[in-house]
Amino acid sequence: MASNHLTGIGSESKQLATWYFTFAAILFGAQLLFGLVAAIQYVMPGFLFEILDFSVARMIHINALVVWMVFAMFGAVYWLLPDETGIETIGIKVGKLLYWVFVAAIVVVVLVYIFVQVGPADETSIWFIHEGREYIEAPRWADFGIVVVALGFVANLFMTGMKGKRSGIVTVLMADMIAFAGLYLTGMFFTDNITVDQYWWWWVIHLWVEATWEVYVGALAAYGLITMIGAHRKVVEMWLWIEVAMLFGSGILGMGHHYFWIGTPEYWWEIGALFSALEPLPLVAMFIHVLYDWGKTQGAQDATGQKLSVINNKPAFTWFVLNAFGNFLGAGIWGFFHTLPQVNLYTHGTQFTSAHGHLAFFGAYATILIGMMYIAVQGVNGIKVMKSTRSSVWATWMIAGGVMGMTVALTIAGYVQVLVSRAQMGATWAGYFDGQSGLWFAQAMDWRLIMGVVTFTGFLFLAKDLLSIGKSPIHER
Amino acid sequence: MANKVSVWTDNRFWQRSAAWVTGFAAVLLIWLTFDTSAQISMGTDADLQNGVTKRVPGPTVINYKITYEMSAKRGHEVPIIGGNDGSGMSLFQEKEKFFGRDDYSEEEAGALLHLGKLGSQTKNCMNCHTLLGNGAYYAPDLTKSWLDPAWQDGGTMQAMTGKSTKEEAMAEFLQHPSTYPTHARMMPDLGITAEEAKGLVAFLKHMSSIDTNGFPRNFGKIQGAVNGK
Amino acid sequence: MIGEVVMRQDIAVNDFLTIFVSSALVLVFGGFYVGIYTAVKVNLLKKWAMPIAYLFWMLTAYCLYLMGSLMHVGEFTAKALVVAAIGLLLLPHAVYFMQHQVHEENEH
Repeated sequence: MASNHLTGIGSESKQLATWYFTFAAILFGAQLLFGLVAAIQYVMPGFLFEILDFSVARMIHINALVVWMVFAMFGAVYWLLPDETGIETIGIKVGKLLYWVFVAAIVVVVLVYIFVQVGPADETSIWFIHEGREYIEAPRWADFGIVVVALGFVANLFMTGMKGKRSGIVTVLMADMIAFAGLYLTGMFFTDNITVDQYWWWWVIHLWVEATWEVYVGALAAYGLITMIGAHRKVVEMWLWIEVAMLFGSGILGMGHHYFWIGTPEYWWEIGALFSALEPLPLVAMFIHVLYDWGKTQGAQDATGQKLSVINNKPAFTWFVLNAFGNFLGAGIWGFFHTLPQVNLYTHGTQFTSAHGHLAFFGAYATILIGMMYIAVQGVNGIKVMKSTRSSVWATWMIAGGVMGMTVALTIAGYVQVLVSRAQMGATWAGYFDGQSGLWFAQAMDWRLIMGVVTFTGFLFLAKDLLSIGKSPIHER
Repeated sequence: MANKVSVWTDNRFWQRSAAWVTGFAAVLLIWLTFDTSAQISMGTDADLQNGVTKRVPGPTVINYKITYEMSAKRGHEVPIIGGNDGSGMSLFQEKEKFFGRDDYSEEEAGALLHLGKLGSQTKNCMNCHTLLGNGAYYAPDLTKSWLDPAWQDGGTMQAMTGKSTKEEAMAEFLQHPSTYPTHARMMPDLGITAEEAKGLVAFLKHMSSIDTNGFPRNFGKIQGAVNGK
Repeated sequence: MIGEVVMRQDIAVNDFLTIFVSSALVLVFGGFYVGIYTAVKVNLLKKWAMPIAYLFWMLTAYCLYLMGSLMHVGEFTAKALVVAAIGLLLLPHAVYFMQHQVHEENEH
């Protein structure tokens, strides 16, 4: 059906996209590797003690996560821009230059994280080592670098969107990406007041992952549905606008659920409770939308009498469906059950948050970005209908199963923490360690490590598959 | 039906709706941010002297005794500074020595807090501990750690360091964490100097005075109470 | 109203499991409701399955009620939960209504 994505060869924008995807995949591997180090430290606390401590391993684990996703997100935009606008991306040369600046900066930052680790308590450490603020630890110099690169990317997107055909998807992306880049600025200052610090810190973290990134995913899913199953553009784009309304409508003020306990006024309880309760609704809507469109297009195909799948890229479509499902499960279910202030009082800052974080980041973002990588492989190799190889299937099941397993293990650990450390012992030092030494907690951490290894093995299959699937003879060319 | 375009299926209608909804939510958030910012700005020494309760008190709060007590009116625990007036409000009277002094000026206390906040970031506290409940879950929450029974007189942590006050015990521990193993999972040596340790303890004491709407709940309940009984 | 006695009661230790399970089931049942409704509408399931969809919505509403009462939510939060439940009830109807109209306009 739709074959406008088969223009992978000869487009500089698409070439840049593959660069972005490649580095994203490398960072994804690094994320899993340092996650394993941290997981081992829960089980064997002496592992790499005072060599590569938990704080360092975890910092790289979550930073690599954020950065690989940003890389893959930029890459996906460079990939779809020529398809959507009908022209080559404007200023692509600058885009390519900025890519190398970005990569070089990331490498330097990571090397400093690993080899310098901590500095004295002064501004110099904040500028050149790290800022010590979860998720956005990047040192101040790198903050400015990131802003420059992000502005370059947004400029590419805007100039191309203005000159070429501006589809609904491109319009949403333009609005969304400017907010995405702009929000980073709210996390770039130092203050002695930790309440003010965390207030603005959440502007970056929450408004990224629960608002602008979700909208981005909506736009990407729309593009995927059009290219992979030939869904009707008008239907898909109408849905995209509705999703934007629902996601921003609930997500922006859903911020309230981070303002329950950081020193902010009590009215955030009510705001947070109301909008958090609404936040799963758009995720349910996105889920039905994907299934509905798939059913409708396949139904139309079946009606012609031919038994033919409408999906022209099996592995990518699998990841897109996993995205719809994972978003609902990770962000929806795992988010909802600890979001109301009455129960969050006990779950805030326990492994529950960690369980939610693992499943939501994976379900909502990792899945769809991996799907985009498969779309790029298809395009680059000029494949008409791409099928799954054995490695694609192993990769999918091991990664999805591994992350799900880690999530369940962390949920059990969180439950122990809530009961022992929080409800009964009131969150003191002794209460904390009593919770940590419980048998259930310890076993949950063992299982988390095992499932982490499964996930990492799945990643190896994925890497192998992305590198080799394009040459496989099983596809229709 | 096929000829008449319904408003519900008009992309422009949904595009406008999305813009309006987003704009409305954003404006509301910004408005709330102004209100909240005013309420969470840091207080001053004058506020403490005049008995003005701030959600985030000024740095000179380190001159006062801080406790965490149930407020009948608010239905949860609140930080009490310098004694309880009996109805769950702070009296701002009872002082408490911090490294032997209870007369830090606004500048001195501010400098200590500044050093401590910088230290909390450069030493990467947040990637093992939680602060105000946010961070990593590898080590205990630090929100009210200043009030933790383990650090009080007779508490296990204070006894282990051999110091006679909690601020000295905490500072000693921060400088040589791996020589005071409290659990198989230990805090690594982060090269914290004596001055930085003092700043960090001031930062922790200040953080315990922030009104966190009753988080964490029932803090220190198992030891009877934190408020020195 | 705001800030008064929202947190007065502790959650009983034995209630936590029920709270977590019921709040997870809220969306599981909600998902079944939406899924079955959609499946019936696109003819993947027969018409008789529709009452089952509504049954799942009722289970969702019950789980919300159970969760809310064990958590001792205040009046405001209770209202927010009712709004969310009604929103979920209407959601697939609205989706189907609009999808149907767009398809009608574009394919006939």
